[in-house]
Amino acid sequence: MKSRKPSSVAARIAQYAVLCLGAIFTLLPFLWMISSSLKTPAEIVKIPPVMVPAVAQWSNYATAWAAAPFGRYLINTVIVTILTTVGVLITSVLSAFAFSRLKFPGKDLVFSLFMATLMIPGEMLIITNFMTITKLKWIDTYQAMVVPWISNVFYIYLLTQFFLQVPDALYLAAKVDKCSDLKFMVRIMVPMNKSAITTIAILNIIGSWNSFLWPLLVTNSQEMRVLSTGLIRFQTEAGTSYELVMAASCILVMPIVLIFLFLRKYVLEGVAFNGVKG
Amino acid sequence: MKRKSIPCLLLAAAVTVGTLTGCSANADSASTGASSTGASSAASSAATSDSAIQPCEVTFWHAMTGQQETTLTELTDQFNSENEYGITVTLVNQGSYDDLSTKLTANAAADTLPDLSQAYNSWLIPYLDKVVHLDDFVANDYDNYEDIMESYREETSQFGFINAMPFNKSTYVYFYNKTMFDELGLEAPQTWDDLLTIGKTFLEKKNMVSLGFDDMAGMLEATLRQNGCDYVSEEGALFDTDAGQQAIDFIMEMYNNGYARLVGEDGYFSGPFSNQLIPAYIGSSTGVSYITHDGWELGVAPLPGNTEKAANTAGTNIVMFSKDANQQKAAWEYLKFLTSTDATVKWAMDTGYLPVRTSAYESETYQNFMQSDATATASYAQADAFFSSPAFDGSYDIQNAVNSKLEELILNKADGATAMKELVDAVNGAL
Amino acid sequence: MQHNQTVARRLRGCKGYLYLAPSLIILLVFTVYPLIKAFAMSFCEDYSIIDGSFKGINLQNYQDLFADEVFLKALSNTTIYVVFVVPLSILLSLVLAVLIHNSLRGKALFQTLYFLPYVTSVIAIGIVWSWIFNSNYGLLNYFLSLFGIPAIPWLNDPHYALAALIIFSIWKSLAFNILIFLSGLASISQEIYQAARIDSTPRLRVFFKITVPQLRPIIVYAVLMGLINAFKVYNEVFSLFQSKAGPANSAITVVYYIYDKFYNSGDYGVASAAAVVLFVIILVLTMVQKSIAKEKEEA
Repeated sequence: MKSRKPSSVAARIAQYAVLCLGAIFTLLPFLWMISSSLKTPAEIVKIPPVMVPAVAQWSNYATAWAAAPFGRYLINTVIVTILTTVGVLITSVLSAFAFSRLKFPGKDLVFSLFMATLMIPGEMLIITNFMTITKLKWIDTYQAMVVPWISNVFYIYLLTQFFLQVPDALYLAAKVDKCSDLKFMVRIMVPMNKSAITTIAILNIIGSWNSFLWPLLVTNSQEMRVLSTGLIRFQTEAGTSYELVMAASCILVMPIVLIFLFLRKYVLEGVAFNGVKG
Repeated sequence: MKRKSIPCLLLAAAVTVGTLTGCSANADSASTGASSTGASSAASSAATSDSAIQPCEVTFWHAMTGQQETTLTELTDQFNSENEYGITVTLVNQGSYDDLSTKLTANAAADTLPDLSQAYNSWLIPYLDKVVHLDDFVANDYDNYEDIMESYREETSQFGFINAMPFNKSTYVYFYNKTMFDELGLEAPQTWDDLLTIGKTFLEKKNMVSLGFDDMAGMLEATLRQNGCDYVSEEGALFDTDAGQQAIDFIMEMYNNGYARLVGEDGYFSGPFSNQLIPAYIGSSTGVSYITHDGWELGVAPLPGNTEKAANTAGTNIVMFSKDANQQKAAWEYLKFLTSTDATVKWAMDTGYLPVRTSAYESETYQNFMQSDATATASYAQADAFFSSPAFDGSYDIQNAVNSKLEELILNKADGATAMKELVDAVNGAL
Repeated sequence: MQHNQTVARRLRGCKGYLYLAPSLIILLVFTVYPLIKAFAMSFCEDYSIIDGSFKGINLQNYQDLFADEVFLKALSNTTIYVVFVVPLSILLSLVLAVLIHNSLRGKALFQTLYFLPYVTSVIAIGIVWSWIFNSNYGLLNYFLSLFGIPAIPWLNDPHYALAALIIFSIWKSLAFNILIFLSGLASISQEIYQAARIDSTPRLRVFFKITVPQLRPIIVYAVLMGLINAFKVYNEVFSLFQSKAGPANSAITVVYYIYDKFYNSGDYGVASAAAVVLFVIILVLTMVQKSIAKEKEEA
């Protein structure tokens, strides 16, 4: 390590330069969101825009928070997000295992069917699904916000790709040891793909945390609404109170950032192949 | 490759089967769709029967936020505590207008519409047969319907029956930077010629574009009407006339000379207007709450005209969908309350929307309010020139096509004759 | 005995479906059923979603669709969009993910930074990017002016609107792809890299000889999903142009068209027909992509 060639040092510098340059573009909107949440209405519309507000308007947060029962919304959002994510993880692991390891008739057909469901825009499905939910008498319930979303082909396919990476020898060895499929899946496949499963969990948490139109559609009472529906409180047909939208957005986003920081290490953590490979 | 194609074929087959079964099932339900028109007959019987209203809950979906929602809640609380029948109106915010519209469509399909909802006429077209006809209620149990502003009465009866009661109404007004106008010795425009003069002056003296319109299709319709020319109908464009050509020539002159500009990346003109980057614009009277005027004086004027005066109105009405006779009567009590002189005055003063009744404008409270509120004054000054765009199957597509075509024509600096031809084509092509 | 064996085999055959059941049931109810209904709607003239009535079963919706200039525009815009966004986005995010993965310090920091766009409010992102693209005081034009390039009216001029959308979308897709690639990179056995390090194989060679082949399934996944998602682009348009499809409809996409026809015009049949056309295009392309991927695998 110590005797690094100069070209290698140059490469390192270039590497960090590229990463930092890219980071500016990813960081900027996020910072802008935070800075805008502390601006006055006059600063919001100021041309050219001001990056840092003269006096931080912390009261925007109080105003935004008071505009809707966000406490209740938060509880609902947490419930819906947890239920959906747990559901997605279970169905995705099961399906990915079936597609990657099990042999059964019509596998290709079913897989094509799964893939085909991705190819139609979700906007087309909303009304029909709403009618289904109405028929099930699920309006204004958690299951209306959860059940349609606990099967996700994007994740199933992603996980299948990861599961296929696990050497077949492992599976065959387990079979010889009379290890049941379910046991193999839970004991070996899941831990070996911790990184991918965490990624799916993160993606799903964000998706379900931010989902807006569907929760709005299937709920009518304040008691069942979720956080994202609070964001639209600051928009009218004549304009938008951006400082309040941004304050509410920051409130909405903070828990997700914390969850991500907590789960992040599992994404980066490699798999300990050595032990099982033997 | 060959193996892959089998699932696809099967999928196609499944789809074809689905097509047939799907369509036939739909055909069955088509006949039942007609039964929901029974709602209108229920409405008439409900309106005429004298039996007292039973206590009940009435649901009202709306898209009001901030101060608007606060005032609506206050008024509704007042109604809930004061009405003698034990009616409770429950307000449900359903997001933005777009969200509310989507939600209504979905609920119309599932046949679970609320008792009352805010709605634009154009939204109702797919499910017009689910709207309760209010004619009998108005005839039998309403205080002085003639007092409702004429243009609102026209708007809410354009389908051949009274389909709604007007609620949160606004109009387009001319906002201008009075400080800048004074500096150049200009006054608020009364006519198209004034607009041209203002445009020329600002361009020469300050090198500024001096006018913008938030709503392009609305601008075209208002300009045509200001020249005594009709806009569109279900048949297509009606403006291919000399008067129409004059109006379009005027529009293109404004833009091609650099007197007016498109809103483009700014979204709404209230932003650049607040920053004194444009000295005047035409937009909704409710937009005034998004204008900040630090160190300069805001002026508000009625829309200028040419051979006639014409001013767009905007804002939704309240539509009734209740099926049950008792619900209908209860909902009607609430509508009567919300459109009463006192309620509409309070609503208008708190929110910046306009009163729906002439008597409300004439009331002492509102007259006093207008003295200190330039937007309200300017709006009232053009009240007899109010018009609303007709809604019909295809009116949305026309609006969409016109918006896009106008932008294109202006960006290309088209001449009046080309603009006329392409606009007529755009309108007729959208139908 | 033999009978028992076939039963056992059959049971084993069903086992796969047992594992699939939870996903399959939900997909059938909430995706396949509405999908079939949408297909059916596309063949029903003047279909009304409210009462299910229609004039007749024919191809009228498809005729209307292909006679509509706006749809053709949407189709060509979407194609251009896909051609630029998918490869550029995959390439950029792959490079960035590898750089992050290989960085000795700040790995966690960069991972978090590159993830932020994924959690930033869509509205905030839309506003910030319309500021970045602003013709008078935008960051991008300022940056370009350093190289002597005159100000470009990104969002005001129909000629640049699609380019702005493409730049914006590439940026927006980075967070997802980088996250996927990072978790893919984490799954590659370190032993392979260690072997390469001992041989002191050049960095670029390691990238092409080890990283890319090991990451292949994930790259295939990212390309396929990128392709599907790019064809379904809608939210990006909506947030960048503030509820419009760009100046004079210049940045309209197929799904924007579908949404507008369905929810604003009430032309449910035409919207469904457009969705079917989109479906067929994506289906054909994914099949082509799959067969290419397979050929490469076999080669």
